Amino acid sequence: MDCQSCAPPELRKDKPHTFLLHEPTTCGTCGVGLEGRVVLRGADAVMLKLCTTCGPSEAVLSTDAEGYLAAFLARGERPAGATGDHLFKHTTSTCPKCLTLVPAEVVIRADSRVYFRKDCATCGPSEALVSEDAAYYVRAYAFARAGTEPLKFAAEVEHGCPTDCGTCNDHEQHTCLPIIEVTDHCNLECPICIVNNQYSNHIEVATFGSIIDTLIRNEGQCESVALSGGEPTSHPKILELIAAAQRPEIGRVVVITNGLRLGKDRDFARALKASGCYVGLQLDGFTADTHEKIRGRDLVAEKDAALAALKELDIPTQLIFVATRGVNEHQIGQVVELFLREDHILSLNFQPAAFTGLGGGAFAHDPMDRLTIPGVIKAIAAQTNGALRYEDFFPLPCSHPQCVSLTYLLRLDDGRHLPFARFVDFKRYGTLLRSSATLPATAEMESTLQDLMYDVFSQQDDIPEAPAVLAALKRALGVMFPERQLSPQQAITIGERQAKSIFLHHYMDRHDFDLERLRKCCHHYPQIDGRIMPACGFNMFHRGAAKGKDTQLAPWGRKPWTTGGDGQIRLSVVT
Amino acid sequence: MGLLAGRTALVTGGSRGLGRAICVALAREGAAVAFNYSKDEEAAAETLRGIEACGVRGWSFKVSVLDRVGMQALVKQVEKDAGKIDILVNNAGIGQVVPLALMEEEDWDRVMDTNVKGAFIATKAVLRGMVREKRGRILNIGSLAGVKMMQAPVHYSAAKAALKGFTEALAKEIGRYGITVNCLAPGVLDEGVSGNLPAARRDEYLRHCALGRLGTCEEVADFAAMLVSDRNSFMNGATVVLDGGV
Repeated sequence: MDCQSCAPPELRKDKPHTFLLHEPTTCGTCGVGLEGRVVLRGADAVMLKLCTTCGPSEAVLSTDAEGYLAAFLARGERPAGATGDHLFKHTTSTCPKCLTLVPAEVVIRADSRVYFRKDCATCGPSEALVSEDAAYYVRAYAFARAGTEPLKFAAEVEHGCPTDCGTCNDHEQHTCLPIIEVTDHCNLECPICIVNNQYSNHIEVATFGSIIDTLIRNEGQCESVALSGGEPTSHPKILELIAAAQRPEIGRVVVITNGLRLGKDRDFARALKASGCYVGLQLDGFTADTHEKIRGRDLVAEKDAALAALKELDIPTQLIFVATRGVNEHQIGQVVELFLREDHILSLNFQPAAFTGLGGGAFAHDPMDRLTIPGVIKAIAAQTNGALRYEDFFPLPCSHPQCVSLTYLLRLDDGRHLPFARFVDFKRYGTLLRSSATLPATAEMESTLQDLMYDVFSQQDDIPEAPAVLAALKRALGVMFPERQLSPQQAITIGERQAKSIFLHHYMDRHDFDLERLRKCCHHYPQIDGRIMPACGFNMFHRGAAKGKDTQLAPWGRKPWTTGGDGQIRLSVVT
Repeated sequence: MGLLAGRTALVTGGSRGLGRAICVALAREGAAVAFNYSKDEEAAAETLRGIEACGVRGWSFKVSVLDRVGMQALVKQVEKDAGKIDILVNNAGIGQVVPLALMEEEDWDRVMDTNVKGAFIATKAVLRGMVREKRGRILNIGSLAGVKMMQAPVHYSAAKAALKGFTEALAKEIGRYGITVNCLAPGVLDEGVSGNLPAARRDEYLRHCALGRLGTCEEVADFAAMLVSDRNSFMNGATVVLDGGV
């Protein structure tokens, strides 16, 4: 799928195929077992293979791509009266004990949930819950769309995924959201933390600038660049970093923060506002006990202070809520209510907890009973008094469809928000299903909104609140596409006040790691050595904390930049 | 079987002149035909008889083309009876021979409203169904006076030129729904709006017309029936002149 929200189409090209799934196969020459990549190319379904001995090859599986997809989806229907596990497909996961890549059977059980069944030659069998709704999981594959290639790949294909990362030209999606970790210092030690803070380094401004250069060289344009950490506001030169990222090729700079400094240092908050950056505020609950369990201490007053500063200064904000079974899932409705109430809060990002990283890798959890995307959506529906429904959410085709789910909510003229799914068939409107947190004022979006308006116009007798929807669409078209040129930044700013979005992004861990999903990851950690690392691959194999403290790196793993005892940065800096 | 068998058409201003001829031509090609009119009930009854004589269903509505609510109700009624409206012919129009110096603002508004706003109101009323069906034919009846420099009333020429623009912009906007929009621009005819032309102007037209005669409503109507049929599937946003060669 062409990410036109991130860049004009002439800058980046679509992949020549739609990546669908991974399946076990064999090399046609030497017969060795491989994990093949099934893609839909024109009318064909094709198996792409990479043999480290014989090189790349391919085999046509079917000359009826649509029929192949339909038959694949039909495999996800558990026969009535069936007992035991229903095998849907295969993939490659990791052994939760030794982190070795192992084959996994993807099975659907009588509880209508999806599980991985694995058997490590060293550690033995294991199982993990992957999705709380098999119907959602299976249907998500129907949303698969062709990815987009970056202008320049950061790595060459040699041994295949994930060892060559990254990203190589076998990766199926460009970098929709670069997340740059600017420090490994933090002012919290969160029990759920997914990184591996060593309190060793703040990135140099010049080094950071070289990462931005690499991104622009590889991507052309980026809709967003996120500054993360550690806690990025603990970086002494955070404002300089923000300024360094604000280039014409970058739509918005987002600082992902726990908000502590923001809440207590109003001068800093004002400086952030003046910088024009956006804030991604970590907010996982509203009570002392939830903060204590997830973030290590009671943060109620500090989060309130941060929220007050953001509101007072009207700083465009995204809320990030790590949803954890048995901890804060009962407060999901409350964060949705806050999100809908405040104009400056543009998007809400739920992250079902991933048990990886220095904190998260050791966080107490049950891999067979955890929150997944469908579980969070059900909680949203149950806790919002009908404002949002399960059916309002759709898999995002931009990434692997199992990774992200989203809904857009149109701002009505009376201030209420109505999910687009209430008046539009999301499957017909691929343009809306993007990784963008807001509606970008692109030519394609104009055409889409106009189509959408005609759809509502022609069926207004059957659509509740059709007159209000039409009035809102008329307003949106008017302000997003005025009879004057908008700069890319203006186009983003205007578009983001017309609709809000809720994203659910499920990062992977050692239990539910799925190589197939990694193949199309579009949230990437750019590194100072020039690699652009898909987030979950980096967390699993390179960060060195997939199981918490002292996790052994994969043989090909390379840790992020740190200064060792000698004060030297371990990885070479990109030039 | 006629060119329009199984289709349903709405013709605005269908009681007399070119409107009536179009109603009957469409009916003759097999379309069920609805039309509206504003005044002449007797003439409307004659048109309705002409439609029904072709063995198809007809509807006659005494509703001004400027009555938005009335036009919406008309469309709903026809859609309820026939299931859908496939064809719209925006024919309703008036002329007035008056030089600009003597033209009052009310004259301007009346001509612009009936000829242009009326097309907008009727089109918006039928468009919902056409978009839903992803199919439709819209034909706007323009005039040679809207295309070429002629000795014609300024407000009338301006209104007919506006219909040409209306045609082109709308064709571009809704082509994606399988709806074509075209404009038929007749020269001077021997009845209808042209019937009010002073003799001197008719004679001038005849001097410049290669065929040396005025057109007939039937000639224009027959061509209109072909234009809104499936035989004419790729023309869109066009203004077709039918003038005997001027």
